[in-house]
Amino acid sequence: MFRAALRSLGQHRVRLLLTLLAVVVGVAFVAGTFIFTDSLKQSFDALFNAPQPDVTVSADSAFSAGGQGGGPGSGADQTPTVPSSLLANVTAVDGVASAHGMVTATGALVLGKDGKPVGRAGPPARAMSWLPDQSMSSLSLAAGQAPNGPGQVALLDSTATSAGVGIGDTVRLETPGGQLTSTVTGLVTRGIGGSDGGTLTVFDLPTAQKQMLGNTTTFTSIAVKASPGVSQAELANRLAPALPGHLKIETGAQRSADIANRLQTAFGFINTFLLAFALIALFVAIFLIFNTFSMLVAQRTRELALLRAVGASRSQVRQSVLVEAAVLGLIAAGIGVLGGIAVSQGLRGLLKVFGADLPAAPLVIQPRTIVVSLILGIGVTLISAYVPARRAASVPPVAAMRDDVSMPAKNLRIRGIIGAVLIVIAVLSALSATRDLSNNMRATQLVGVSAICALIGAIALAPILGRWFIGLCGMPIRGNAIGNLAVENGRRNPRRTAATASALAIGLALMSAIGVLAASTKASVAAVVDDTIGADFIVLGANFQPFRPDVFAAVKNTPGASTVTYTRQIPLAVGDDQGVLTGIQSGQFQQVFNLTMDSGTADNLLPGDAIVDSDTAKRLGISLGQNVPVDYVSGPGFLILRGTYKPAGPITGWISDVQTLTDAGGRDLDSAIYVRSAEGADPTTVKASLDKELAAFPAVKLQDQASLKDQINQQFDRVFGFIYALLALAVIVAFLGIVNTLALSVFERRREVGLLRAVGTSRGQIRRMVVIESVLIALFGALIGLSLGLIYGTLFRKVLESVGISKLAIPTGQIVWFVVLAVLGGIIAALWPAFTASRLDVLKAIASN
Amino acid sequence: MIAARANSLSKIYGDGDTRVTALDAVDVEIGAQQFTAIMGPSGSGKSTLMHCLAGLDSVTSGQVWIADTELSSLSDKALTRLRRDSVGFVFQAFNLVPTLTAIENITLPMDIAGRKPDPDWLNTVIDTVGLRDRLSHRPSELSGGQQQRVACARALASRPTIVFADEPTGNLDSKSGAEVLGFLRRSVDEFQQTIVMVTHDPNAASYADRVLFLADGRVVDEMFNPTSASVLERMKAFDTARA
Repeated sequence: MFRAALRSLGQHRVRLLLTLLAVVVGVAFVAGTFIFTDSLKQSFDALFNAPQPDVTVSADSAFSAGGQGGGPGSGADQTPTVPSSLLANVTAVDGVASAHGMVTATGALVLGKDGKPVGRAGPPARAMSWLPDQSMSSLSLAAGQAPNGPGQVALLDSTATSAGVGIGDTVRLETPGGQLTSTVTGLVTRGIGGSDGGTLTVFDLPTAQKQMLGNTTTFTSIAVKASPGVSQAELANRLAPALPGHLKIETGAQRSADIANRLQTAFGFINTFLLAFALIALFVAIFLIFNTFSMLVAQRTRELALLRAVGASRSQVRQSVLVEAAVLGLIAAGIGVLGGIAVSQGLRGLLKVFGADLPAAPLVIQPRTIVVSLILGIGVTLISAYVPARRAASVPPVAAMRDDVSMPAKNLRIRGIIGAVLIVIAVLSALSATRDLSNNMRATQLVGVSAICALIGAIALAPILGRWFIGLCGMPIRGNAIGNLAVENGRRNPRRTAATASALAIGLALMSAIGVLAASTKASVAAVVDDTIGADFIVLGANFQPFRPDVFAAVKNTPGASTVTYTRQIPLAVGDDQGVLTGIQSGQFQQVFNLTMDSGTADNLLPGDAIVDSDTAKRLGISLGQNVPVDYVSGPGFLILRGTYKPAGPITGWISDVQTLTDAGGRDLDSAIYVRSAEGADPTTVKASLDKELAAFPAVKLQDQASLKDQINQQFDRVFGFIYALLALAVIVAFLGIVNTLALSVFERRREVGLLRAVGTSRGQIRRMVVIESVLIALFGALIGLSLGLIYGTLFRKVLESVGISKLAIPTGQIVWFVVLAVLGGIIAALWPAFTASRLDVLKAIASN
Repeated sequence: MIAARANSLSKIYGDGDTRVTALDAVDVEIGAQQFTAIMGPSGSGKSTLMHCLAGLDSVTSGQVWIADTELSSLSDKALTRLRRDSVGFVFQAFNLVPTLTAIENITLPMDIAGRKPDPDWLNTVIDTVGLRDRLSHRPSELSGGQQQRVACARALASRPTIVFADEPTGNLDSKSGAEVLGFLRRSVDEFQQTIVMVTHDPNAASYADRVLFLADGRVVDEMFNPTSASVLERMKAFDTARA
């Protein structure tokens, strides 16, 4: 019995291969996600053994991650520092072997030969001071000498490569302290910890202090080495009494754990996303497997009947099909695990493209990964094959004697009722969700429930809808004999057509829903930019880094620029609530932002006065005129609330006079410059003049509303592109399903095809018949998928309105493309089955026995 | 007048040890407006002969003509067109496309060609097979005999040069079989149709004008104006020869 089952596997290789592929894709993504995560975890262990200070002393960095929000160009970057005088206190503590001041900061751009910053936009341009004690340094010298003196610099090897310089060459650097021309003395590599793809410049300590911090009296941290026999924790304990209370004293082990935690949180979302995708792929695979096994059983009806006739029991027949499924699932899972290795490596590569170079890690394949993959692969295959297996068992022995055997067609009524009930639930929960949008969480969950019910309901109704849709869609081609045949073929097995189309519908539903959300997000951002940015031009730092104030002087003197004003930003915290304080030049408020005040006024803000967005005010429970205690990087302070404004997209947080920032220890670095053209000046001329002035400042970029929107859109496009790429795989799997279904249909109808050929149908006409059927199935899948996608994209947009997606945009062009691609996919999927059909041997096909 | 002709027609399957000569230099002429039956024991090559004459199968050597067209030199495209326009078929089973109605099946060859059927002729054929009230039915809603009559109507509807019928009554009860055979006979008598029918049933052969007997790939005998009894007698001779 089992031998018969296994032999039959070997006989339908191509079809099984397609089925296999569907399971492999799903399993590979699950396994890949596990392998990726496990490998990443393993690499964290190496973090703990890497050279690092035993204890690091730094300013308590409640602001370490930088401020949140703060308007376009949120350059709220203020590096917390430690006075260099404390180095003596540290060295004096018993148990300290040595201690060194360190500078780690961002904003040192390496300029290429063309004068433009090298490296990608996105990851920051870092600068560090060289730590002479190699046992504590995360950097090691790969070639040359450590930098020594103001004219010298060492570069990360990848940075030097992108800048096209080597040891002995000179390189131009743009730093907050001004532009430098330095000689490259050495190339460094980063130890464990990986890189985020940004550039790294290494100075000696005094140069780093001067260029990056603007003084020689502070460090960003102090690296401390313990004397032999003193543990890290013991050293930290001894240091505490010798230092001011607000400083952070962290052991090497704590730091490593911190980094590991941060990386794990950062990649957590990727895992969730990939697992969700893997489940979608497996869900689609279920349809494909179901169809394949239905076909295998249908093809072997007489063989199965013969087995029954010679005495095999129902359960034996059922088991033989299930054994086949299990073997197939096992093979698919096995290949899936191997594919998972490829997926995990691919992920690494992809993240590198996005700018995150992860620490090198061994490939970790835990037993859990293999067990889960096997259970998923075999489980999914068995579940999908169960119904066909039962159907196989129900073949009566007498079928062996019959000439034409067809599986008994079951009534669609129960499916129809289930589908209708689910659709009603979907409509009701969607209505309930939209009626009360105030509770965001509840509304989102209701729409989610509605979406799942609608999807399953549509799949349940698909056989009924399919007959109807294909009939309707086929109207125009009915007049033609081949068209008529194709339409009837599409309608004759509604369940199979429905299962095939459903697989495609799932992928397209997700893609079009994401499309609606993406388009709406972009439109909303564009609207916010239009509404809130009052200036004609905005000068922003590359990567939104703050920039030198001499840019402002240059812009102010540009002919045609009438109103020129700058903003600065520093991080601040009100209790635990971290935010950004934006400083504006007095009296220039309305030149910069088109803000609507909810209460109070933004005019005549004096140093120490501030306005804040209404949401923040409400969250903090503060009212007009109140003296609000705040924390700056430099220490505590107060702000008097003078007004609240309606939050507008990217513009949130505290706004005050520039002087307030200076008083709070903010540095003379601007975050943005806003420019209005003079009355009657030609914007293109003004832009050209500005471009010319700014050519000397590679650290900044001139933006107008359009380019700002473009830049924001590009960021969205990257994220959405990633999602589309993954979903496209699900769609490709669905098209494999169409190939599979057509191949079976052609096999089942080979006598009919032979008859058609005998009475004079040409090969081309047979091919056309199969292709039209395929296109009709694909269009049906696209119709269900795109309808659901558009409806639920719109609904999700509606419930997400309060988080900023204020505008609804339907990506019509994209939807049209999806339809075109569905048609093309349908044609391509039909090529092989159509070819097979057209080459069928007429005589064999019509032979009566 | 000759409707179809084979000249030294051979058909060999396989190679070496598995070599089987299905037709061995057969010369045959099919008279126009005649009802010709081809008979012979299993494996005599009667079906192969019909397939070669109808352009369904390629020949190993020799020539085949339908009217003035020589088939062995034709491409698949030309052969397909010939079958569509000049040949009608009735098979033993699976004659009809299950998704098409009776009338759609009847007009299928003309629909494929993109031609309009001649309505008068179509009406005549439909009335002759007696299926006017069944035209909108699908094959699954028709009896076996009705299905074969639809197949016959299809074969005649395009007024082909020649109709080939392969065991058309093989799956039918005797009453339905008689109806179908009677209809084929009438189409020769009343409409001057040329018909070639492969059968192993002496009673079916008795409807023909002429019977060709095949054995071991050769035409071994022929008989004009056969009766069931005379055909049966002749067939018994084969069994004796074999024994």
